Amino acid sequence: MRKGLKHDLPIHIILIILGIFTFYPFVFTVITSFKDSPQFIHNFWGITWPLHPLNYTDAWSRISRYILNSGIVTTASVFGVLIIASISAFAFARFNFPAKDFLFLCILSLLMIPGILTLVPAFLLVKRLGLLNTYWALILPYISGGQVFAIFILRSFIASLPEELFEAARVDGASTLQSFFNIAIPLSKPILVTVAIMNVLGTWNDYVWPLVTISDGRLWTITVGIVSFSSQYGGLEMWGPMFAGYVIASIPLIVLFFFTMRYFIAGLTSGALKV
Amino acid sequence: MNRKGKPRTIWKEITKKGQCYLLLLPTCLLLLTFNYYPSFSAIYHSLFDWDGANFIRYIGLGNFINMLHDPTIPLSFLNTLKLTICSLIINLTFPLLAAALIFHLKDSRFAYFYRTLFVIPMVVPGMVVFMIWRFIYNPISGLLNQLLTSIGLTQLTRPWLGDFDLALYAVIFIGFPWVAGIATLIYLAGFQSIPIELLDAVAIDGASTWTKFWKIELPLVMAQIKLIIILTLIGAVQGFVNIMVMTNGGPGEATMVPGLYLYRNAMYYNKMGYACAIGTFLFLIILILTYLNIRYLRSSIEYQA
Repeated sequence: MRKGLKHDLPIHIILIILGIFTFYPFVFTVITSFKDSPQFIHNFWGITWPLHPLNYTDAWSRISRYILNSGIVTTASVFGVLIIASISAFAFARFNFPAKDFLFLCILSLLMIPGILTLVPAFLLVKRLGLLNTYWALILPYISGGQVFAIFILRSFIASLPEELFEAARVDGASTLQSFFNIAIPLSKPILVTVAIMNVLGTWNDYVWPLVTISDGRLWTITVGIVSFSSQYGGLEMWGPMFAGYVIASIPLIVLFFFTMRYFIAGLTSGALKV
Repeated sequence: MNRKGKPRTIWKEITKKGQCYLLLLPTCLLLLTFNYYPSFSAIYHSLFDWDGANFIRYIGLGNFINMLHDPTIPLSFLNTLKLTICSLIINLTFPLLAAALIFHLKDSRFAYFYRTLFVIPMVVPGMVVFMIWRFIYNPISGLLNQLLTSIGLTQLTRPWLGDFDLALYAVIFIGFPWVAGIATLIYLAGFQSIPIELLDAVAIDGASTWTKFWKIELPLVMAQIKLIIILTLIGAVQGFVNIMVMTNGGPGEATMVPGLYLYRNAMYYNKMGYACAIGTFLFLIILILTYLNIRYLRSSIEYQA
Protein backbone atom coordinates (compact mmCIF):
# COMPACT_ATOMS: atom_id res chain seq x y z
CA MET A 1 0.00 0.00 0.00
CA ARG A 2 2.72 2.43 0.95
CA LYS A 3 4.72 1.33 -2.04
CA GLY A 4 1.63 1.85 -4.19
CA LEU A 5 1.21 5.36 -2.90
CA LYS A 6 4.80 6.27 -3.69
CA HIS A 7 4.58 4.72 -7.14
CA ASP A 8 1.32 6.54 -7.86
CA LEU A 9 2.42 9.93 -6.61
CA PRO A 10 2.57 11.60 -10.05
CA ILE A 11 -0.90 10.27 -10.81
CA HIS A 12 -2.24 11.65 -7.55
CA ILE A 13 -0.71 15.04 -8.27
CA ILE A 14 -2.29 15.31 -11.72
CA LEU A 15 -5.67 14.07 -10.50
CA ILE A 16 -5.63 16.48 -7.57
CA ILE A 17 -4.79 19.40 -9.86
CA LEU A 18 -7.66 18.40 -12.17
CA GLY A 19 -9.85 18.12 -9.08
CA ILE A 20 -8.91 21.59 -7.87
CA PHE A 21 -9.74 23.18 -11.21
CA THR A 22 -12.99 21.24 -11.36
CA PHE A 23 -14.14 22.11 -7.87
CA TYR A 24 -12.88 25.66 -7.52
CA PRO A 25 -15.95 27.30 -9.16
CA PHE A 26 -18.21 25.40 -6.78
CA VAL A 27 -16.10 26.26 -3.74
CA PHE A 28 -16.11 29.89 -4.83
CA THR A 29 -19.90 29.68 -5.17
CA VAL A 30 -20.34 28.40 -1.64
CA ILE A 31 -17.92 30.95 -0.16
CA THR A 32 -19.52 33.86 -2.00
CA SER A 33 -23.00 32.71 -1.04
CA PHE A 34 -22.22 33.82 2.54
CA LYS A 35 -21.00 37.31 1.65
CA ASP A 36 -22.72 40.66 1.66
CA SER A 37 -21.91 43.22 -1.03
CA PRO A 38 -19.06 45.07 0.79
CA GLN A 39 -17.41 41.76 1.63
CA PHE A 40 -17.70 40.70 -2.00
CA ILE A 41 -16.05 43.89 -3.19
CA HIS A 42 -13.30 44.13 -0.57
CA ASN A 43 -12.39 40.50 -0.26
CA PHE A 44 -13.25 38.82 -3.53
CA TRP A 45 -11.25 35.64 -3.03
CA GLY A 46 -11.26 34.84 0.65
CA ILE A 47 -13.73 33.68 3.24
CA THR A 48 -15.12 36.65 5.11
CA TRP A 49 -16.58 37.00 8.59
CA PRO A 50 -19.25 37.30 9.72
CA LEU A 51 -21.06 34.85 7.45
CA HIS A 52 -24.40 36.01 6.09
CA PRO A 53 -26.75 33.04 6.21
CA LEU A 54 -29.63 35.42 5.57
CA ASN A 55 -28.59 35.30 1.90
CA TYR A 56 -30.08 31.84 1.93
CA THR A 57 -33.37 33.03 3.39
CA ASP A 58 -33.51 35.70 0.73
CA ALA A 59 -32.71 33.30 -2.10
CA TRP A 60 -35.05 30.65 -0.74
CA SER A 61 -37.97 33.07 -0.74
CA ARG A 62 -37.32 33.63 -4.44
CA ILE A 63 -36.67 30.16 -5.72
CA SER A 64 -38.55 27.83 -3.38
CA ARG A 65 -41.53 28.02 -5.71
CA TYR A 66 -39.43 26.89 -8.68
CA ILE A 67 -38.00 24.00 -6.70
CA LEU A 68 -41.48 22.98 -5.63
CA ASN A 69 -42.67 23.11 -9.25
CA SER A 70 -39.72 21.04 -10.42
CA GLY A 71 -40.35 18.63 -7.57
CA ILE A 72 -43.99 18.17 -8.52
CA VAL A 73 -43.28 17.79 -12.23
CA THR A 74 -40.33 15.47 -11.72
CA THR A 75 -42.11 13.24 -9.20
CA ALA A 76 -45.21 12.93 -11.34
CA SER A 77 -43.23 12.31 -14.54
CA VAL A 78 -40.91 9.76 -13.02
CA PHE A 79 -43.72 7.77 -11.41
CA GLY A 80 -45.63 7.96 -14.66
CA VAL A 81 -42.66 6.64 -16.60
CA LEU A 82 -42.04 3.84 -14.10
CA ILE A 83 -45.66 2.68 -14.08
CA ILE A 84 -46.35 2.86 -17.79
CA ALA A 85 -42.93 1.65 -18.91
CA SER A 86 -42.83 -1.31 -16.53
CA ILE A 87 -46.29 -2.46 -17.64
CA SER A 88 -45.31 -2.31 -21.30
CA ALA A 89 -41.90 -3.83 -20.66
CA PHE A 90 -43.62 -6.68 -18.82
CA ALA A 91 -45.93 -7.32 -21.76
CA PHE A 92 -43.00 -7.32 -24.19
CA ALA A 93 -40.80 -9.46 -22.00
CA ARG A 94 -43.16 -12.21 -20.85
CA PHE A 95 -45.81 -12.65 -23.53
CA ASN A 96 -46.10 -13.50 -27.16
CA PHE A 97 -48.69 -11.76 -29.25
CA PRO A 98 -49.09 -10.80 -32.90
CA ALA A 99 -47.09 -7.76 -34.05
CA LYS A 100 -45.03 -7.80 -30.87
CA ASP A 101 -41.71 -7.25 -32.58
CA PHE A 102 -43.16 -4.64 -34.87
CA LEU A 103 -44.61 -2.68 -31.95
CA PHE A 104 -41.36 -2.89 -30.06
CA LEU A 105 -39.46 -1.62 -33.07
CA CYS A 106 -41.92 1.26 -33.41
CA ILE A 107 -41.19 2.26 -29.83
CA LEU A 108 -37.47 1.77 -30.08
CA SER A 109 -37.14 3.74 -33.29
CA LEU A 110 -38.28 6.82 -31.37
CA LEU A 111 -34.85 6.85 -29.75
CA MET A 112 -33.63 8.18 -33.07
CA ILE A 113 -35.96 11.17 -33.05
CA PRO A 114 -34.12 14.19 -31.67
CA GLY A 115 -35.98 16.65 -29.46
CA ILE A 116 -35.11 19.45 -31.84
CA LEU A 117 -37.28 17.95 -34.58
CA THR A 118 -40.42 17.67 -32.49
CA LEU A 119 -40.04 20.91 -30.53
CA VAL A 120 -42.24 23.11 -32.70
CA PRO A 121 -45.12 20.70 -33.47
CA ALA A 122 -45.13 19.42 -29.88
CA PHE A 123 -45.44 23.00 -28.65
CA LEU A 124 -48.32 23.69 -31.04
CA LEU A 125 -49.97 20.43 -29.99
CA VAL A 126 -49.78 21.25 -26.30
CA LYS A 127 -51.07 24.71 -27.09
CA ARG A 128 -54.05 23.31 -28.99
CA LEU A 129 -54.80 20.90 -26.16
CA GLY A 130 -55.02 23.93 -23.90
CA LEU A 131 -52.23 22.67 -21.67
CA LEU A 132 -49.90 25.69 -21.88
CA ASN A 133 -49.13 27.03 -18.43
CA THR A 134 -50.14 23.83 -16.66
CA TYR A 135 -48.00 21.11 -15.13
CA TRP A 136 -49.53 18.72 -17.66
CA ALA A 137 -47.71 20.46 -20.49
CA LEU A 138 -44.54 19.13 -18.90
CA ILE A 139 -45.65 15.90 -17.25
CA LEU A 140 -47.37 14.22 -20.21
CA PRO A 141 -44.58 14.74 -22.77
CA TYR A 142 -41.97 13.81 -20.16
CA ILE A 143 -43.76 10.54 -19.44
CA SER A 144 -44.21 9.88 -23.12
CA GLY A 145 -40.61 10.58 -24.05
CA GLY A 146 -39.09 9.09 -20.92
CA GLN A 147 -40.79 5.74 -21.25
CA VAL A 148 -39.06 4.86 -24.53
CA PHE A 149 -35.62 4.17 -23.15
CA ALA A 150 -37.17 2.90 -19.91
CA ILE A 151 -39.11 0.22 -21.79
CA PHE A 152 -35.94 -0.73 -23.64
CA ILE A 153 -33.96 -1.23 -20.41
CA LEU A 154 -36.77 -2.78 -18.37
CA ARG A 155 -37.78 -5.20 -21.07
CA SER A 156 -34.37 -6.81 -21.27
CA PHE A 157 -34.20 -6.99 -17.48
CA ILE A 158 -37.65 -8.54 -17.03
CA ALA A 159 -36.97 -10.94 -19.89
CA SER A 160 -33.87 -12.15 -18.07
CA LEU A 161 -35.89 -13.21 -15.02
CA PRO A 162 -36.28 -17.02 -14.85
CA GLU A 163 -39.46 -18.29 -16.49
CA GLU A 164 -39.95 -20.87 -13.68
CA LEU A 165 -40.99 -18.11 -11.31
CA PHE A 166 -43.80 -17.00 -13.59
CA GLU A 167 -44.68 -20.58 -14.44
CA ALA A 168 -44.98 -21.45 -10.75
CA ALA A 169 -47.19 -18.44 -10.18
CA ARG A 170 -49.42 -19.44 -13.09
CA VAL A 171 -49.74 -22.97 -11.71
CA ASP A 172 -50.79 -21.46 -8.40
CA GLY A 173 -53.47 -19.55 -10.29
CA ALA A 174 -51.94 -16.08 -10.23
CA SER A 175 -53.38 -13.61 -12.71
CA THR A 176 -51.25 -11.55 -15.08
CA LEU A 177 -51.55 -8.55 -12.82
CA GLN A 178 -50.57 -10.57 -9.78
CA SER A 179 -47.44 -11.94 -11.41
CA PHE A 180 -46.61 -8.40 -12.53
CA PHE A 181 -46.98 -6.89 -9.07
CA ASN A 182 -45.69 -9.80 -7.01
CA ILE A 183 -42.85 -11.11 -9.17
CA ALA A 184 -41.73 -8.75 -11.93
CA ILE A 185 -41.82 -5.51 -9.96
CA PRO A 186 -40.11 -6.64 -6.73
CA LEU A 187 -37.31 -8.34 -8.66
CA SER A 188 -36.77 -5.32 -10.90
CA LYS A 189 -36.28 -2.88 -8.05
CA PRO A 190 -32.62 -2.01 -8.71
CA ILE A 191 -33.22 -1.41 -12.41
CA LEU A 192 -36.33 0.62 -11.60
CA VAL A 193 -34.27 2.86 -9.34
CA THR A 194 -31.73 3.35 -12.13
CA VAL A 195 -34.46 4.21 -14.62
CA ALA A 196 -36.02 6.57 -12.09
CA ILE A 197 -32.77 8.44 -11.52
CA MET A 198 -32.10 8.67 -15.23
CA ASN A 199 -35.48 10.33 -15.65
CA VAL A 200 -35.09 12.55 -12.60
CA LEU A 201 -31.89 13.92 -14.12
CA GLY A 202 -33.45 14.48 -17.51
CA THR A 203 -36.58 16.10 -16.15
CA TRP A 204 -34.92 18.21 -13.46
CA ASN A 205 -32.34 19.59 -15.88
CA ASP A 206 -34.56 20.21 -18.88
CA TYR A 207 -34.68 23.84 -19.92
CA VAL A 208 -36.07 24.41 -23.40
CA TRP A 209 -39.40 22.60 -23.06
CA PRO A 210 -40.53 24.35 -19.85
CA LEU A 211 -39.27 27.63 -21.29
CA VAL A 212 -41.49 27.15 -24.33
CA THR A 213 -44.62 25.85 -22.63
CA ILE A 214 -44.70 27.76 -19.34
CA SER A 215 -44.82 31.52 -19.50
CA ASP A 216 -46.50 31.97 -16.13
CA GLY A 217 -43.65 32.72 -13.72
CA ARG A 218 -45.47 31.03 -10.84
CA LEU A 219 -45.24 27.68 -12.64
CA TRP A 220 -41.62 27.93 -13.76
CA THR A 221 -39.35 25.00 -13.07
CA ILE A 222 -35.98 25.48 -11.42
CA THR A 223 -33.99 25.70 -14.67
CA VAL A 224 -36.13 28.48 -16.12
CA GLY A 225 -36.50 30.14 -12.73
CA ILE A 226 -32.80 30.20 -11.95
CA VAL A 227 -31.98 31.96 -15.23
CA SER A 228 -34.48 34.72 -14.51
CA PHE A 229 -33.36 34.87 -10.87
CA SER A 230 -29.72 35.19 -11.98
CA SER A 231 -30.41 38.01 -14.39
CA GLN A 232 -32.33 39.87 -11.71
CA TYR A 233 -29.91 39.39 -8.82
CA GLY A 234 -26.82 39.63 -11.01
CA GLY A 235 -28.17 42.84 -12.49
CA LEU A 236 -28.62 44.23 -8.98
CA GLU A 237 -25.14 42.92 -8.07
CA MET A 238 -26.68 40.94 -5.21
CA TRP A 239 -24.04 38.28 -5.57
CA GLY A 240 -24.41 36.68 -2.14
CA PRO A 241 -28.10 35.78 -2.48
CA MET A 242 -27.54 34.85 -6.13
CA PHE A 243 -24.93 32.26 -5.23
CA ALA A 244 -27.01 31.10 -2.28
CA GLY A 245 -29.74 30.41 -4.83
CA TYR A 246 -27.36 28.26 -6.85
CA VAL A 247 -26.45 26.23 -3.79
CA ILE A 248 -30.10 25.73 -2.88
CA ALA A 249 -30.93 24.72 -6.46
CA SER A 250 -28.22 22.06 -6.36
CA ILE A 251 -29.18 20.51 -3.03
CA PRO A 252 -32.09 18.25 -4.11
CA LEU A 253 -29.99 16.31 -6.64
CA ILE A 254 -26.98 16.18 -4.32
CA VAL A 255 -29.14 14.68 -1.56
CA LEU A 256 -30.58 12.17 -4.01
CA PHE A 257 -27.06 11.32 -5.13
CA PHE A 258 -25.81 10.53 -1.63
CA PHE A 259 -28.74 8.23 -0.96
CA THR A 260 -28.52 6.32 -4.24
CA MET A 261 -24.90 6.65 -5.31
CA ARG A 262 -24.53 3.33 -7.11
CA TYR A 263 -27.80 3.63 -9.00
CA PHE A 264 -27.07 7.25 -9.64
CA ILE A 265 -23.89 6.48 -11.54
CA ALA A 266 -25.69 3.78 -13.53
CA GLY A 267 -28.50 6.24 -14.24
CA LEU A 268 -26.05 8.90 -15.38
CA THR A 269 -24.27 6.59 -17.78
CA SER A 270 -27.36 4.99 -19.26
CA GLY A 271 -28.97 8.41 -19.55
CA ALA A 272 -26.07 9.49 -21.72
CA LEU A 273 -26.52 6.58 -24.07
CA LYS A 274 -30.01 7.73 -24.83
CA VAL A 275 -29.63 10.05 -27.79
CA MET B 1 -60.03 -34.53 -23.14
CA ASN B 2 -58.01 -32.72 -25.74
CA ARG B 3 -61.01 -31.88 -27.85
CA LYS B 4 -62.93 -30.74 -24.83
CA GLY B 5 -60.16 -28.48 -23.59
CA LYS B 6 -59.37 -26.81 -26.91
CA PRO B 7 -62.04 -24.10 -27.23
CA ARG B 8 -61.29 -23.02 -23.71
CA THR B 9 -57.58 -22.72 -24.37
CA ILE B 10 -58.18 -20.73 -27.53
CA TRP B 11 -60.53 -18.42 -25.69
CA LYS B 12 -57.93 -18.09 -22.96
CA GLU B 13 -55.28 -17.35 -25.56
CA ILE B 14 -57.39 -14.64 -27.12
CA THR B 15 -58.12 -12.92 -23.83
CA LYS B 16 -54.49 -13.21 -22.88
CA LYS B 17 -53.42 -11.60 -26.14
CA GLY B 18 -56.06 -8.95 -25.76
CA GLN B 19 -54.66 -8.37 -22.33
CA CYS B 20 -51.22 -7.72 -23.83
CA TYR B 21 -52.54 -5.00 -26.09
CA LEU B 22 -54.39 -3.54 -23.16
CA LEU B 23 -51.15 -3.41 -21.22
CA LEU B 24 -49.49 -1.57 -24.11
CA LEU B 25 -52.36 0.84 -24.61
CA PRO B 26 -51.13 3.70 -22.37
CA THR B 27 -47.67 3.57 -23.95
CA CYS B 28 -49.06 3.58 -27.47
CA LEU B 29 -51.54 6.39 -26.86
CA LEU B 30 -48.90 8.63 -25.32
CA LEU B 31 -46.31 7.89 -27.99
CA LEU B 32 -48.73 8.47 -30.84
CA THR B 33 -49.80 11.79 -29.37
CA PHE B 34 -46.59 13.27 -28.05
CA ASN B 35 -43.90 11.61 -30.16
CA TYR B 36 -45.17 10.21 -33.43
CA TYR B 37 -47.59 12.97 -34.30
CA PRO B 38 -45.08 15.81 -33.70
CA SER B 39 -42.36 13.98 -35.65
CA PHE B 40 -44.51 13.53 -38.73
CA SER B 41 -46.00 16.97 -38.32
CA ALA B 42 -42.52 18.51 -38.34
CA ILE B 43 -41.45 16.74 -41.50
CA TYR B 44 -44.79 17.41 -43.20
CA HIS B 45 -44.88 21.09 -42.28
CA SER B 46 -41.30 21.61 -43.42
CA LEU B 47 -42.93 21.81 -46.88
CA PHE B 48 -45.23 24.66 -45.89
CA ASP B 49 -45.15 28.33 -45.25
CA TRP B 50 -46.91 28.22 -41.91
CA ASP B 51 -47.48 30.56 -38.99
CA GLY B 52 -48.55 27.74 -36.70
CA ALA B 53 -52.16 28.79 -36.74
CA ASN B 54 -54.41 29.73 -39.65
CA PHE B 55 -52.06 30.73 -42.40
CA ILE B 56 -50.68 27.75 -44.26
CA ARG B 57 -49.43 27.44 -47.83
CA TYR B 58 -47.70 24.57 -49.59
CA ILE B 59 -44.32 25.65 -50.95
CA GLY B 60 -42.63 22.33 -51.66
CA LEU B 61 -38.96 22.57 -50.93
CA GLY B 62 -39.24 26.35 -50.63
CA ASN B 63 -38.10 26.40 -47.01
CA PHE B 64 -35.02 24.40 -47.83
CA ILE B 65 -34.22 26.68 -50.75
CA ASN B 66 -34.68 29.66 -48.44
CA MET B 67 -32.20 28.06 -46.06
CA LEU B 68 -29.62 28.14 -48.84
CA HIS B 69 -30.10 31.89 -49.23
CA ASP B 70 -30.37 32.71 -45.55
CA PRO B 71 -27.01 34.14 -44.40
CA THR B 72 -27.64 33.00 -40.81
CA ILE B 73 -27.73 29.34 -41.84
CA PRO B 74 -24.12 28.95 -43.03
CA LEU B 75 -22.98 31.12 -40.13
CA SER B 76 -24.76 28.96 -37.58
CA PHE B 77 -23.61 25.69 -39.14
CA LEU B 78 -20.06 26.98 -39.18
CA ASN B 79 -20.38 27.67 -35.46
CA THR B 80 -21.75 24.18 -34.94
CA LEU B 81 -18.78 22.81 -36.83
CA LYS B 82 -16.38 24.73 -34.58
CA LEU B 83 -18.26 23.62 -31.47
CA THR B 84 -18.26 20.02 -32.67
CA ILE B 85 -14.55 19.90 -33.44
CA CYS B 86 -13.63 21.51 -30.13
CA SER B 87 -15.96 19.24 -28.15
CA LEU B 88 -14.48 16.24 -29.91
CA ILE B 89 -10.94 17.29 -29.08
CA ILE B 90 -11.94 17.98 -25.48
CA ASN B 91 -13.84 14.74 -24.97
CA LEU B 92 -11.07 12.66 -26.49
CA THR B 93 -8.32 14.08 -24.29
CA PHE B 94 -9.10 15.27 -20.78
CA PRO B 95 -11.67 12.66 -19.71
CA LEU B 96 -9.62 9.90 -21.32
CA LEU B 97 -6.54 11.07 -19.46
CA ALA B 98 -8.43 11.26 -16.17
CA ALA B 99 -9.93 7.79 -16.65
CA ALA B 100 -6.56 6.28 -17.61
CA LEU B 101 -4.92 7.84 -14.55
CA ILE B 102 -7.63 6.61 -12.22
CA PHE B 103 -7.39 3.16 -13.77
CA HIS B 104 -3.64 3.05 -13.22
CA LEU B 105 -3.85 3.69 -9.48
CA LYS B 106 -2.50 0.72 -7.58
CA ASP B 107 -4.90 1.17 -4.69
CA SER B 108 -8.48 0.57 -5.77
CA ARG B 109 -9.80 2.57 -2.82
CA PHE B 110 -8.19 5.67 -4.30
CA ALA B 111 -9.62 4.81 -7.69
CA TYR B 112 -13.06 4.65 -6.13
CA PHE B 113 -12.44 7.92 -4.32
CA TYR B 114 -11.46 9.81 -7.47
CA ARG B 115 -14.31 8.35 -9.45
CA THR B 116 -16.79 9.52 -6.84
CA LEU B 117 -15.03 12.88 -6.69
CA PHE B 118 -15.46 13.42 -10.41
CA VAL B 119 -19.08 12.29 -10.33
CA ILE B 120 -20.16 14.87 -7.74
CA PRO B 121 -19.95 17.93 -10.07
CA MET B 122 -22.17 16.06 -12.52
CA VAL B 123 -24.87 16.15 -9.89
CA VAL B 124 -24.95 19.95 -9.90
CA PRO B 125 -27.73 20.93 -12.30
CA GLY B 126 -26.36 21.91 -15.69
CA MET B 127 -28.14 25.24 -15.52
CA VAL B 128 -26.41 26.14 -12.24
CA VAL B 129 -23.07 25.37 -13.88
CA PHE B 130 -23.94 27.68 -16.77
CA MET B 131 -24.97 30.41 -14.35
CA ILE B 132 -21.72 30.08 -12.42
CA TRP B 133 -19.78 30.38 -15.66
CA ARG B 134 -21.84 33.36 -16.68
CA PHE B 135 -20.56 34.95 -13.51
CA ILE B 136 -16.99 33.82 -14.21
CA TYR B 137 -17.16 35.67 -17.54
CA ASN B 138 -18.91 38.74 -16.10
CA PRO B 139 -17.00 41.76 -17.49
CA ILE B 140 -16.77 43.70 -14.21
CA SER B 141 -17.23 41.44 -11.21
CA GLY B 142 -16.44 38.16 -12.95
CA LEU B 143 -13.92 35.73 -11.56
CA LEU B 144 -11.81 35.58 -14.73
CA ASN B 145 -11.31 39.32 -15.09
CA GLN B 146 -10.74 39.68 -11.34
CA LEU B 147 -8.08 36.99 -11.57
CA LEU B 148 -6.36 38.68 -14.52
CA THR B 149 -6.46 42.02 -12.74
CA SER B 150 -5.05 40.64 -9.51
CA ILE B 151 -2.10 39.05 -11.29
CA GLY B 152 -1.38 42.24 -13.22
CA LEU B 153 -2.71 41.22 -16.61
CA THR B 154 -5.37 43.93 -16.73
CA GLN B 155 -4.80 44.41 -20.46
CA LEU B 156 -6.16 40.91 -21.06
CA THR B 157 -9.49 41.52 -19.33
CA ARG B 158 -12.46 41.74 -21.63
CA PRO B 159 -16.21 41.07 -21.78
CA TRP B 160 -15.63 37.45 -22.72
CA LEU B 161 -19.15 36.62 -23.81
CA GLY B 162 -19.52 39.93 -25.63
CA ASP B 163 -16.37 39.53 -27.71
CA PHE B 164 -17.06 38.71 -31.36
CA ASP B 165 -14.03 36.48 -31.74
CA LEU B 166 -13.92 34.89 -28.31
CA ALA B 167 -17.56 34.40 -27.26
CA LEU B 168 -17.91 31.00 -28.93
CA TYR B 169 -14.68 29.76 -27.41
CA ALA B 170 -15.71 31.10 -24.03
CA VAL B 171 -18.80 28.88 -24.25
CA ILE B 172 -16.66 25.92 -25.28
CA PHE B 173 -14.32 26.55 -22.35
CA ILE B 174 -17.16 26.04 -19.83
CA GLY B 175 -16.49 23.15 -17.52
CA PHE B 176 -12.71 23.28 -17.80
CA PRO B 177 -10.88 20.89 -17.23
CA TRP B 178 -13.82 18.78 -18.47
CA VAL B 179 -12.99 15.69 -16.45
CA ALA B 180 -16.15 15.64 -14.36
CA GLY B 181 -18.37 14.29 -17.09
CA ILE B 182 -20.02 11.15 -18.30
CA ALA B 183 -17.16 10.62 -20.74
CA THR B 184 -14.77 9.93 -17.85
CA LEU B 185 -17.17 7.35 -16.41
CA ILE B 186 -17.60 5.63 -19.76
CA TYR B 187 -13.85 5.48 -20.43
CA LEU B 188 -13.20 4.21 -16.93
CA ALA B 189 -15.79 1.46 -17.36
CA GLY B 190 -13.98 0.54 -20.56
CA PHE B 191 -10.58 0.33 -18.88
CA GLN B 192 -11.99 -1.66 -15.99
CA SER B 193 -13.48 -4.25 -18.31
CA ILE B 194 -10.07 -5.14 -19.75
CA PRO B 195 -9.29 -8.69 -18.55
CA ILE B 196 -6.77 -8.52 -15.73
CA GLU B 197 -4.87 -11.58 -17.03
CA LEU B 198 -4.14 -9.71 -20.23
CA LEU B 199 -2.61 -6.79 -18.35
CA ASP B 200 -0.63 -9.16 -16.12
CA ALA B 201 0.74 -11.00 -19.13
CA VAL B 202 1.90 -7.75 -20.70
CA ALA B 203 3.42 -6.65 -17.38
CA ILE B 204 5.46 -9.86 -17.23
CA ASP B 205 6.71 -9.20 -20.73
CA GLY B 206 8.20 -6.04 -19.32
CA ALA B 207 6.45 -3.52 -21.54
CA SER B 208 6.73 0.07 -20.35
CA THR B 209 3.63 1.81 -19.04
CA TRP B 210 3.62 4.01 -22.11
CA THR B 211 3.76 1.14 -24.61
CA LYS B 212 1.18 -0.76 -22.59
CA PHE B 213 -1.16 2.20 -22.78
CA TRP B 214 -0.81 2.78 -26.52
CA LYS B 215 -0.58 -0.81 -27.65
CA ILE B 216 -2.93 -2.61 -25.28
CA GLU B 217 -5.22 -0.41 -23.25
CA LEU B 218 -6.18 2.22 -25.80
CA PRO B 219 -7.16 -0.28 -28.53
CA LEU B 220 -9.25 -2.13 -25.96
CA VAL B 221 -11.31 0.94 -25.10
CA MET B 222 -11.85 1.78 -28.76
CA ALA B 223 -15.53 0.91 -28.41
CA GLN B 224 -15.89 3.53 -25.68
CA ILE B 225 -13.95 6.05 -27.72
CA LYS B 226 -16.23 5.51 -30.71
CA LEU B 227 -19.25 5.85 -28.47
CA ILE B 228 -18.01 9.15 -27.06
CA ILE B 229 -17.35 10.42 -30.58
CA ILE B 230 -20.89 9.65 -31.68
CA LEU B 231 -22.48 11.03 -28.52
CA THR B 232 -20.44 14.21 -28.82
CA LEU B 233 -21.37 14.64 -32.48
CA ILE B 234 -25.07 14.19 -31.88
CA GLY B 235 -25.04 16.41 -28.80
CA ALA B 236 -23.18 19.17 -30.62
CA VAL B 237 -25.46 19.15 -33.67
CA GLN B 238 -28.72 19.66 -31.80
CA GLY B 239 -27.64 21.30 -28.56
CA PHE B 240 -28.20 25.00 -28.07
CA VAL B 241 -29.02 25.51 -24.40
CA ASN B 242 -25.43 26.44 -23.62
CA ILE B 243 -25.42 29.12 -26.34
CA MET B 244 -28.92 30.27 -25.45
CA VAL B 245 -28.19 30.98 -21.80
CA MET B 246 -24.61 32.18 -22.19
CA THR B 247 -24.76 34.51 -25.21
CA ASN B 248 -28.21 34.03 -26.73
CA GLY B 249 -26.45 33.86 -30.08
CA GLY B 250 -24.67 37.17 -29.58
CA PRO B 251 -22.88 39.43 -29.85
CA GLY B 252 -24.86 40.11 -33.01
CA GLU B 253 -25.16 36.65 -34.48
CA ALA B 254 -21.57 35.68 -33.72
CA THR B 255 -22.47 32.57 -31.73
CA MET B 256 -25.70 31.60 -33.49
CA VAL B 257 -26.29 27.86 -33.86
CA PRO B 258 -29.01 26.06 -35.89
CA GLY B 259 -30.98 24.90 -32.85
CA LEU B 260 -31.25 28.41 -31.47
CA TYR B 261 -32.10 29.78 -34.89
CA LEU B 262 -34.90 27.21 -35.17
CA TYR B 263 -36.17 28.28 -31.75
CA ARG B 264 -36.14 31.95 -32.75
CA ASN B 265 -37.95 31.35 -36.03
CA ALA B 266 -40.66 29.44 -34.20
CA MET B 267 -41.05 31.50 -31.06
CA TYR B 268 -40.20 35.05 -32.13
CA TYR B 269 -40.91 35.26 -35.86
CA ASN B 270 -43.79 32.75 -36.02
CA LYS B 271 -42.11 31.06 -38.99
CA MET B 272 -43.17 27.57 -37.96
CA GLY B 273 -42.74 26.03 -41.41
CA TYR B 274 -39.21 27.35 -41.69
CA ALA B 275 -38.43 26.15 -38.17
CA CYS B 276 -39.73 22.70 -39.09
CA ALA B 277 -37.48 22.70 -42.16
CA ILE B 278 -34.40 23.50 -40.06
CA GLY B 279 -35.49 20.78 -37.62
CA THR B 280 -35.93 18.28 -40.44
CA PHE B 281 -32.51 19.11 -41.80
CA LEU B 282 -30.92 18.65 -38.36
CA PHE B 283 -32.86 15.42 -38.01
CA LEU B 284 -31.35 14.12 -41.26
CA ILE B 285 -27.86 14.92 -40.03
CA ILE B 286 -28.57 13.25 -36.69
CA LEU B 287 -30.12 10.26 -38.44
CA ILE B 288 -26.85 9.64 -40.24
CA LEU B 289 -24.96 10.01 -36.98
CA THR B 290 -27.46 7.77 -35.18
CA TYR B 291 -26.91 5.12 -37.79
CA LEU B 292 -23.26 5.17 -36.81
CA ASN B 293 -24.32 5.20 -33.16
CA ILE B 294 -26.35 2.02 -33.55
CA ARG B 295 -23.49 0.36 -35.36
CA TYR B 296 -21.13 1.11 -32.53
CA LEU B 297 -23.44 1.02 -29.51
CA ARG B 298 -23.69 -2.74 -29.71
CA SER B 299 -19.97 -3.16 -29.38
CA SER B 300 -19.71 -1.09 -26.25
CA ILE B 301 -21.27 -1.01 -22.83
CA GLU B 302 -24.99 -0.57 -22.99
CA TYR B 303 -25.29 0.20 -19.38
CA GLN B 304 -23.75 -1.03 -16.18
CA ALA B 305 -25.50 -1.28 -12.85
